[in-house]
Amino acid sequence: MASSCSQALRHHVCKSSRILRVHLQKAWPNRSFVLNPAADQQPAVSSPEEEIVIPKKKTWSKEAVLQALASTVNRDPTASDYRFQDDPYLTPKTSSEFKLFSLSQESGRNAAKYFISTYPKYFQKDYAQPHIPCLMPETLEAQIEEVSEAALIERIQMRKVKAAVDLYDQLQQAGTPVSLDVTNQLLDLICFYGDCDPAQENVPEQRNEETEDVQDEPQTKKGRASKASDKLKAAWKENNNAERIFALLSEPNTHSYSALIRGMVKYGAYSKAFSTYTDLLNNQLKADVSTFNALITAAPEVKEKYNEKWELIVDLLKQMAEQKVKPNLLTLNAVLKALRRCGTVGKSQAFPVISEMRALSIDPSLASYNHLLSIFYKPGAPFQGQTDILQEVMNEVSGKSFTPQDPDDAQFFITAVRICLDTKDIEQAYRVHELLGVGENWRLLGNDFQQNIYHARFFSLLCMMENIDVVLKWYRDLVPSVYYPSSNVMRDLLQALDTDNRLDLIPQIWKDLKQLGHGNRQTLVEELLTLMAREKQNQEVQETFAECALDIKKMYDTGDRGKVMMSWTAGSLSDLVSVLLAAQRRQDAWEILKLFKTHNRVPSEELLDKFLTCIKESGDVNQALELVQISAGFCLPGTPKLIQRVQQEFLLSEQQKSMLSDLEIQTFNSD
Amino acid sequence: MYRRLLINIYQVRNGLIHTQNTRLPSTKCKERESFAPVIWAPCTARPLGTSSISFSENKENSTSLSEDKEKRPEENEAKEEVNTDGQKSTEISNATLTLQLETEPVDKPEDSKQVEKTKSGKESLLELLGAMKVEVTTVRKIRPSKTPRMSERPDQEPMESTHSMFQHATAEGSQQQGTLNPALVAAVSAAASTLPNRHQAESELLKQLRKHEAVPDTQRRADGQNIGHIIADMKVGGRKTNGRSSARPTSQIRFDDDGKGYTQDRGITGELDAVRRRKSPFTSKRLNIFTAGMEQDTLSVLGPTLWDIDLANQIVQATNQAPRNGFEEMIQWTKEGKLWQYPINNEAGLEEEASVPFHEHVFLEKHLDESFPRQGPVRHFMELVITGLAKNHHLTVQQKKEHIDWFRDYFRQKDDVLKEAEA
Repeated sequence: MASSCSQALRHHVCKSSRILRVHLQKAWPNRSFVLNPAADQQPAVSSPEEEIVIPKKKTWSKEAVLQALASTVNRDPTASDYRFQDDPYLTPKTSSEFKLFSLSQESGRNAAKYFISTYPKYFQKDYAQPHIPCLMPETLEAQIEEVSEAALIERIQMRKVKAAVDLYDQLQQAGTPVSLDVTNQLLDLICFYGDCDPAQENVPEQRNEETEDVQDEPQTKKGRASKASDKLKAAWKENNNAERIFALLSEPNTHSYSALIRGMVKYGAYSKAFSTYTDLLNNQLKADVSTFNALITAAPEVKEKYNEKWELIVDLLKQMAEQKVKPNLLTLNAVLKALRRCGTVGKSQAFPVISEMRALSIDPSLASYNHLLSIFYKPGAPFQGQTDILQEVMNEVSGKSFTPQDPDDAQFFITAVRICLDTKDIEQAYRVHELLGVGENWRLLGNDFQQNIYHARFFSLLCMMENIDVVLKWYRDLVPSVYYPSSNVMRDLLQALDTDNRLDLIPQIWKDLKQLGHGNRQTLVEELLTLMAREKQNQEVQETFAECALDIKKMYDTGDRGKVMMSWTAGSLSDLVSVLLAAQRRQDAWEILKLFKTHNRVPSEELLDKFLTCIKESGDVNQALELVQISAGFCLPGTPKLIQRVQQEFLLSEQQKSMLSDLEIQTFNSD
Repeated sequence: MYRRLLINIYQVRNGLIHTQNTRLPSTKCKERESFAPVIWAPCTARPLGTSSISFSENKENSTSLSEDKEKRPEENEAKEEVNTDGQKSTEISNATLTLQLETEPVDKPEDSKQVEKTKSGKESLLELLGAMKVEVTTVRKIRPSKTPRMSERPDQEPMESTHSMFQHATAEGSQQQGTLNPALVAAVSAAASTLPNRHQAESELLKQLRKHEAVPDTQRRADGQNIGHIIADMKVGGRKTNGRSSARPTSQIRFDDDGKGYTQDRGITGELDAVRRRKSPFTSKRLNIFTAGMEQDTLSVLGPTLWDIDLANQIVQATNQAPRNGFEEMIQWTKEGKLWQYPINNEAGLEEEASVPFHEHVFLEKHLDESFPRQGPVRHFMELVITGLAKNHHLTVQQKKEHIDWFRDYFRQKDDVLKEAEA
């Protein structure tokens, strides 16, 4: 009923809008007529359509041609990353190789730059015509020696905090006035680096630290922890140079306050930032956007309760409106980020905040959506009734191409795919993946480490939810050109193979495993063996299994390049034997059986029983006896049963019979 | 499908009612129901917002009244009147009007009396009804794909089906005796036992139950006929029965003032509509802190500060900047200034010369002014020099001038030597 009502209404609206449009169309030609002076002069001759519009000269950007060409190149799933295409020898096959090669490339570049900058005198010859500034050595030493404002500016530009502060003090002592702008720049510099000299940018380690956490989860935790500790170390100090210089200013302006507040927020002096802000208000000044952004970021730190935090944020926003400061995208993101720490308040206020910013024609970036998702989906928390938020977000973003605008933009994809994984929502995962292919969005997937997380989550979800054919299609597409799966993900894949009963693909997967450097992961290899040994397959498959099993055995034998050696367990050995027996490779199986002894493992009775059945098929009496001897050697309780079977099922000579009876007595005695 | 569902739901409800009230002759019930649609049909005009309700209540009364007929003889008479009139299909509106006039005064005091009496018992009963509603809605949610059909359904058609529905109900009602919701039985009997007149109270309660099932049906039919009336009702209908409805729980209000009630209770239709029309949360209301066309006070902008540079740097660090193919690497190099720019321009890097016309390069005689001798070997030499310079494309005009100036100085210095040699 309401639907028909709404339909009627909609119809009405459509109609009226059409009428309106018709009216407007009637009105427009007249208007352009009046505005057009040429038409005014000769009203009879020309109608506006016939006018010749000379197109403006189009200046192409210098990258336009290349961009057009680049858009024609698609990703080749069989090729490795472009970075490694120069030298086929250096094509990475495992994740560790990938890490090693990409890091060495990067550090080589950094080392070269370091040398050029450290010894500029050797690199003065300028071959390039026209001149290429970025290939020339940078000047790292201050050129102006005298005590002057120009020297101060130079030091500020070279980001030498200590030197700049010293020079400023000298200027003050000499009584030379320093202009407010320069002082503000100095304040910026001090606050930005928290009153410490920045680590030299060209030092190779710095970049390493960032890229080092490429692959393994535990390592990243370490990396993050160290970064956090760095921040803690560089806390805002009481009465540091920034505060001192600020206090010296007779008339600090908005910029000076802004620098100070941002510095305080950056280095964790949150309540101090707020008191500085009050100071600013008392001085009848207005704050700027960045100041507000910083304060909003700090807001959750200074209040305890969720609603208090939110009230503070609203208060700040109101003050922005009062001071006629237009918020920007970073404001929106700061608010949303703060809302992540406001619990339930965040859930109720997140959408109004976005609507508010939309009304100010600030479109959310991926970082905003990332915060939004994080507000609604807390990791580890149960998901009830929130699954559609992701859907709503995907409805908003899909098909759009985003440009990086916020450092948090790069978090969106891994957050989204995490939620898909948690909620087992394969449909949304496909949508997320599709979004990744739009425009330049792939850049927002972030660095190698984040790419790896993303692909791991996506692929795990596929393994869990899709049938094996689809999984394998994705597997061939992603591995190893963009993704080197970890052993956990490979286990997921094995499980998917198991569920869909495609164990015949195991030998293929084993080859990949070996290439991916997981050939020596004991648990993974053992699982592989168990899967192969579990059921009897058809002859062809059994044959490939046997080959694969022998290959696995080689992995155990040769610990290559100092890698961790795998040790045989009873389970893995017996699985291996059963695989070989199933493929009628008695001789190979016999070799393996001997390994039980050498590795001090005990075979199970069923295995020996199975073995005996196999021997019986070939009728090799000697081997049967040897088997019984082995069994007796392990003092297995099933030995008498085996002896009985041998006695019954084989044609034995007298000597063999006596030997058996001896064995029987021995086992009896030992019991 | 959807109708089937609905019917099922009603059947269940009816089953509950009938099993509870087995004394009710089922034929009677059937009879009453069968005439009810005949009355509704002319109701299209809907002179009052409450008309359909009074009917439904009426109809309910008629079933319950089977027991206490002697109490309201005049009402029964009216009904029979309507029955005959309705069958003739003449003067129906008259009949409805009279019916209304007669029933309403009776209904209202009756209702309020009941409310006072059975308050505690009724609350539990309504809870149950609420629970029933929830069940219904879950059923609907499972089949959202059937929504479009609902609007297509012809509005008048269900007359027969309602009829058959009640037949079903009566038939199944007896079957379902065993599987009766025990909670409902308990609640009804508990409620009834608190009252002096047990039977009457029980029938009252059942009447309330019946309302729940009958009214949505009525509403739907009426709604389908004219949207305008609903809208009109919404405005006019208001809350006439405020005093009474305030005492009633929310689940009942909708029967009294149908205008408002529709939005809440039109269970299936309403809910499915809500699903269909549910707005994305992104279009939710805003905070209304800022005004849209707000002007920004232009602060002194000093170009990018350290913070801006750092933000850009952070963004670059966070995103993946590694090229995916050769062209992208070339783009990167172009941005760094390492690569010759496309489209190819062989004057790249000669920007300062771009504004200099060619004749400045070629016709250099004007620079051989009076500082050089007008004739003689020096002049001759200098002419050769400018010819060479005119052909040199490696030098800028400025450099060519400097070249000539150097010779000018040179010859000036060597003036005495030249004079001596009489050159």
